[in-house]
Amino acid sequence: MKAFFNPGRARLCRAAGVERARIGSTESRPTKRSVGLAIVALLLPLTAFAATKGPETVVKPKELSLVRVNVTGQPYDFVRPWQKKAPFSKRALGAVLPGGRVLVTADLVANQNYVELERAESGEKTAANVVVVDYESNLALLEPTDKKFLDGLTPLQLALDTVVGDRLAALQLESTGALVLTEGLVTTIQMTRYPADLGQFLTYRVSMSLQYRDNSYTVPLVKNNKLAALLLRFDQRTQVVDAIPAPIIAHFLKDAEKQPYRGFPAAGFGFFPTRDPQLRKFAEETGKPAGVYVTSVDPSSPAAKAGLQVGDIVVSVGNNEIDQNGNYVDPLYGKIEFTNLITAKAFAGDTLQLHIQRAGKPMQMDLALTHRNADDYVIPPYSLDRAPLYYVLGGLIFEELSRQYLREWGANWMKDAPQRLVYKDRFQSELYPEGNRRVVVLTQVLPANTTIGYDEVAYLTVRKVNGKEVKSLADLAGAVKQPVDGFITIETEEDPKQIALDAKQVDAEAEALMQNYGLPALQRLE
Amino acid sequence: MRRWAILSISLLFAVDARAQQKSPPEPPGDQKPTPSPVAQAPSVIVAPPARPNGPIQKSLVRITSTEVEPDYRAPWNSGGVQRGIGAGFVIEGNRIMTNAHVVSNSRYLTVERDGDPNKYPATVLFVAHDCDLALLKVASADFFKNMVPLTFGGIPELESTVSAYGYPLGGERMSVTTGIVSRIDFTLYTHSSVDSHLAIQISAQINPGNSGGPVMQDGKVMGVAFQGYSGDVAQGVAYMIPTPVIRRFLQDISDGHYDRYVDLGITYAKLQNPAQRHFLGLKDDDRGALVGTVIAAGPAANSLQAGDVLLAIDDHPIASDATVELDGSRVDMPEVVERKFKGDKVKLDVWRDKKPLTVNIELGSVWPYLYLAHGYDVKPRYVVYGGLVFQPLSLDLIDAYAPTDVRIRHYFDYFVIEQIYLDHPEVVILTNILPDPTNTYLAAYRASIVDEVNGKKIRKLDDLAAAFAEKADRFVVRMIGDGPPLVLDPKEVESARERIKKRYNVLVDQNLEEQPSKPTPADQTKN
Repeated sequence: MKAFFNPGRARLCRAAGVERARIGSTESRPTKRSVGLAIVALLLPLTAFAATKGPETVVKPKELSLVRVNVTGQPYDFVRPWQKKAPFSKRALGAVLPGGRVLVTADLVANQNYVELERAESGEKTAANVVVVDYESNLALLEPTDKKFLDGLTPLQLALDTVVGDRLAALQLESTGALVLTEGLVTTIQMTRYPADLGQFLTYRVSMSLQYRDNSYTVPLVKNNKLAALLLRFDQRTQVVDAIPAPIIAHFLKDAEKQPYRGFPAAGFGFFPTRDPQLRKFAEETGKPAGVYVTSVDPSSPAAKAGLQVGDIVVSVGNNEIDQNGNYVDPLYGKIEFTNLITAKAFAGDTLQLHIQRAGKPMQMDLALTHRNADDYVIPPYSLDRAPLYYVLGGLIFEELSRQYLREWGANWMKDAPQRLVYKDRFQSELYPEGNRRVVVLTQVLPANTTIGYDEVAYLTVRKVNGKEVKSLADLAGAVKQPVDGFITIETEEDPKQIALDAKQVDAEAEALMQNYGLPALQRLE
Repeated sequence: MRRWAILSISLLFAVDARAQQKSPPEPPGDQKPTPSPVAQAPSVIVAPPARPNGPIQKSLVRITSTEVEPDYRAPWNSGGVQRGIGAGFVIEGNRIMTNAHVVSNSRYLTVERDGDPNKYPATVLFVAHDCDLALLKVASADFFKNMVPLTFGGIPELESTVSAYGYPLGGERMSVTTGIVSRIDFTLYTHSSVDSHLAIQISAQINPGNSGGPVMQDGKVMGVAFQGYSGDVAQGVAYMIPTPVIRRFLQDISDGHYDRYVDLGITYAKLQNPAQRHFLGLKDDDRGALVGTVIAAGPAANSLQAGDVLLAIDDHPIASDATVELDGSRVDMPEVVERKFKGDKVKLDVWRDKKPLTVNIELGSVWPYLYLAHGYDVKPRYVVYGGLVFQPLSLDLIDAYAPTDVRIRHYFDYFVIEQIYLDHPEVVILTNILPDPTNTYLAAYRASIVDEVNGKKIRKLDDLAAAFAEKADRFVVRMIGDGPPLVLDPKEVESARERIKKRYNVLVDQNLEEQPSKPTPADQTKN
C-alpha cells in the first residue's frame, strides 16, 4: 500500500511486480537451444520417473494438448513515436482448449505482427488470429486459421480445485517435440498484482526448479491432466513460480464468450486494514472488529456511484464477511483478500451487495461492477497493440503521457524515468481529480532552425497553446492552427514556462524536418 | 539563479578514522638537501630547482580536526567521531585560512606547523559553508612566530603554471604538486551542494588532505584547493576556490559576521530563439534572459515576474545566452550578484509586456535553498512521539535514508521551484517507527508527510511538537495524499514513553534546536 522509507524494504516490496524475470528471453537464441538439448538427454528419464511416481500429476505424454506458438512482435517506440522498434520473435507453448482455441499469456502476443501455431510432433504450421487479449489478467485466446489444424489434440479441461499443498507439473517441450515435465508444490495462494499493475488477482505460488527452454514464454501447469494455471513469472534465484490460476482463466474464458469483451471488474476504492484499535475507534466502528477502512474512492467508479465514502468501513462484500485484514473465508482457500470476490468471482455488469458502517451506523449499498478501461485513466496504465499519438511542431515533439512511455526507461523506470512524470503518473487521481483528460508532454526537441535555443528543453508539461487550455493532443493540434499574430505560443508548467514559434517558419520547415529526421508523418492523432 | 548539476566531485579532506601512525620526529627546519641529479661531470654545476613561491613551509599549516557527524537515522545520538587531516595557510592578522569542510562539525581542532613538534589548539573564527571557506585562530601567540602570512593574487591566466601545497593522504610532511590552469567557470561547490560559484580547474594532482591548502603562482595565493573528481569519473581534474570568492568572503566577515551569499531568487532561461524574441517584441540585438520562476521567498518576489526579460544588470548588458561582460571576460549573469553583499542593491533593466522598466532590488539570501543544502554544525531536529520518529525533510535526511518514495522525492526536488515551502516551510516526515505494542499497527504510515494534527496544519516541526503537547482525547494525524488518518491516544503514548525511550536508548524525546549545545572549552571562543 505504501512504499517503505527504508530502501531495502522498498525494494522487497516492489520486487513482486518488477524484478522477477520471466523464463526465457524475448528472442529465440539458437546457441542456447543446442546447449539445452544436451542437458535434456540426462533429465528426461528422471522427470519421467517423477511423473509416474507423483501422486496427482500423471500426464500421458502421447496425448499432447499443447502446440507451439511462434510470435513475431514489434513494439511501438514511445520515445520515437513515429516508428516501431525492431521486430523480434518469441516462442511459447499454448494450451489447447475445447472449441479449437489456444490459450497463451497476453504478454506473448503483445504488439504482435504475426502469430503462428506449430504442431510439436510434426512441425506442421498454420497462421493464427488473436481472438481476445486481456492485458490486465495477462491472458489471450488464439484461433488457427485452418480450423482442422488442432484435430487429434486432446483439449485441456480446467482444474479449478487447486489448493495449497497440491503438486502441479509444468509442461515444456524439447525441440524434438518430446514432453518435459517439471513438478512443483503449490505453497501459497494469494492476491498479487500482475504485470499490468492494475488490481489484485488470484495467484498460485509454486516452488519449482524450472529449466530454460526456448519455448517457455508461456508455460502451462497441469494437475491430473487438467490445466491448473499458466506461468506468470519465475524467479530464478528463489525458484518460485507465480502462476495465473484456473479460476482467473475460467473467468476470462467466460467473458470471452460475449462480444464485445468486457474485462475484469473493478470496484474503484482504496482500503486499509482496521487492525489498529485507534483507527477503529476513530471510524466509530461498533460490534465485533471487522472490515476495512475506505481510504479513497475513485470518481465515477462503481464505488462512487454506489455512494461509498472515505472513512466508511466495508464489513462484507456479497454476503462474505471481511475481517480486519481485508480477508474473507473462501470455501476452497480459507482466508484470502476480499478483492478476489471482485476480480475472480464477479463479472462486469454484476451487482455486489456491500455492507458498510458509516459513523457506527450499518448501511448497505449495491455495487454495480464495471470494467475500467486503460483509456479511462488520465495517464493510461498500459497501451499495447496501438500506435502512440504524437504531434511534431517545428522540431518540438508532443505526446500524451502514458505509463507505456515511462516504461521505456526499463525495469527500473520508477527510479530512472523523469521523476516529475513518474510523480504525475503515480498520483494522477490526486493531481487530476476531474479525470477525463490527458497530460500532454513536450517530450523532446529535434534541433532545427525553428527550435534554436530550445535544445535543452525536455519533459515539459503543456498547459496552454495559443492561450487555449490543452487537455489532449487533439486540443493541442487544434490550438496550434490558430496562431496569434503569426506566433504559436506554448505555456508549460515547468521552466522556461513559455516557448514561442514562428507559425510560418514551422510550416516552411516541416518538409525538411521530416526528411532530415526520417519522420514518416508529423502527427498521429488517432 | 541556481544551477543544478549532478556531479560526483569529492571533497579533498582526508578522513582517517583509524589511530594515526606516528612516524619518528623529523629534524626541524628545511635542512634536508634537495635531491639533485647525479653529477655527470664535476665541471657541471647543478642549479637548485627554482622555488618561485618562496618557502611555503613558513606559511603552511597542517590541520587535524576531530569531528562528530550527526546521525540522522538515530537523531538523538551524538553521532560518530572521525578525525581528518587538512591544510591551511597563514594570512594577515594571525589568521589561518582553510576550507569550511575541513573544520565542519569539528569538536576539537589542532594545527601544526612545519618543524615544530607541538600541536596547537585552534578555534573557528568564521565559517562560510556556501563557499567552503573558513578562518581559524590560534590562542597561543607562539604559533605565529616566524610564520609568514601569504597574500592573494588575481585570476591566473589559462595554461599558466600553479603549485598546490598540502598534506595529501594525511602525510606529515608538506607535499607540492604543479599543474596548469585548465578552465575557469561556474562550478557546483559540493560542500553545500546547492551553491555554484566561480572555480578554477587545475591539472595539478590534488588529493584528500590537500583541502584548504594554497595554490600559488609567483609567490601569491591564486586559490584554495577544495574539490576534485574521484579517479573513476575523470582524472587530473581538480578545483580551487579563486581569489574573487576568497576576497568576497574576507570582505563579508570584515564586520564581524558572515552574512552568506546573496541571490535574486529567480530561475531564468536563455533567449536565443529568434521567434521567441520577436514574439516578446525584442530587438535583434542578442540581448536578454527570460525569467521563468520568481521565488516568493526571494528578494525579487515583488519586483520581477515570470515572463520578464532581463536586459541589463547594473548597466551590464545581458546577452541572449544569459552572460555579461565583467572585467573583460564573459561570465554568467549571476556573477554580478555573486560579488555583492547582503543589503546591497542591484539594478535590473527589464522588458515587460513590450515595455522597458527599471527595478532596483535589495539583495538577500533565499532561505528555502538552505533546506536543500547540507547542514553543518547543526543538530538534527526531530520529535519522537509514541515511538514515531518525525523529522523535517533535508538533504542530510535524504542522504541518510535514501527514500524511494516518489512523493518524498518530489517534495524535495520541487521544494523551492514549486514553492512548496509556502505551505510547508518544513516538510515533516514520519521517518521511522520504534516498535512498541502501542504502535504495532502503524508501520504502513512510515514515509508519509504530515499534513495536519486535529485539524491544525503542520507547517514546521515545531507545530507538530506543539500539537502533541496540547491536551486532547486523541490526536488525529492526517498525512498528505490518500491514506487513513493516524490516530494516537495520548494516554497510551504517555504510558509507553519511558518504555520506548529505555528500549531504544532515546536520550531526549525531541530536539527543536538547530544549534548544537556543545560545551565550549575556555580557550575556544567563537565569534
